[in-house]
Amino acid sequence: MPESVKTETSTGGGTSTRTRRPRKPKKSQLKYALPLAVVLLGFGIYLATISPNLSFFWMTGICFGFILQRAGFCFTASMRDPYLTGGTSLTRAVLIAFAVTSIGFTAIKYGAYVQGLPIPGRGYVVPISLATAVGAFIFGIGMVIAGGCASGTLMRVGEGFHMQWLSLFFFIVGSLWGAHDFGWWHAHFMSKGVKIFMPDVFGWFGAITVQLLIIGILFILADKWEQKKMG
Amino acid sequence: MSQEVTLDCLGEACPIPLVKAQNKLKELASGDVIIVQIDHSCALKNLPEWARKDGHNVEIEEVDDGEWEIIIEKA
Repeated sequence: MPESVKTETSTGGGTSTRTRRPRKPKKSQLKYALPLAVVLLGFGIYLATISPNLSFFWMTGICFGFILQRAGFCFTASMRDPYLTGGTSLTRAVLIAFAVTSIGFTAIKYGAYVQGLPIPGRGYVVPISLATAVGAFIFGIGMVIAGGCASGTLMRVGEGFHMQWLSLFFFIVGSLWGAHDFGWWHAHFMSKGVKIFMPDVFGWFGAITVQLLIIGILFILADKWEQKKMG
Repeated sequence: MSQEVTLDCLGEACPIPLVKAQNKLKELASGDVIIVQIDHSCALKNLPEWARKDGHNVEIEEVDDGEWEIIIEKA
């Protein structure tokens, strides 16, 4: 056990004696970081020899994880904290991310469209229905209990948070189970919905305008909510 | 005499340290100090953010790699 140090701290009402653990000297993690960086790069180069795409996914995945971890970005918290604390800073961060990706995706898809190429990602236009909302609600309950959505769980597995190793395990179990029964769910619920590709309905310019407008309204609501809840 | 409470939230995932601290803080009087021990990086964000906006004094101390103490003095 480390020796305790008594520090005198003055608080508003008077003086309290606080027992604090002595701070451990910070260990330099450079000796882990450098070899790891070399291994990550090396593996990236190896993947490039198999397929440039694989290597690209490898790099973007690592960058995405790094940014998520360093920024403390958490999709779960963005949906949960407005209720729990009234804070919406993460909610607004997610909305900004949605806005940026909307513009980027529109640029990619419109670019393909004007060149007469097939629009990438058409296969991911899936029907929406009440099933989407029900599924989202169930996922919401799950992610708050598990302490993270998919990316958040992965990030904290990397941070060494043991409980979420368990989350990851059951996340995989659940995903496999879902994949196993996907055909049934698709036939009975999902295919009953309507497929909407917004540019078909509003036109390209209209689609991005409507999307950004909705995000903008949500952003303003989030800001107002925080002011109301936290003052 | 102001009180000092330590809340052991080591190994507890994100919303739990925050909710525990919120509940404990309600029982305390102004000037009391609460020390929340956490090791979940998410609580490092939302706990101080909430406590500061609620008007309390907050200090964060990293006691070990990936282990923090959030010291909140009730306003």
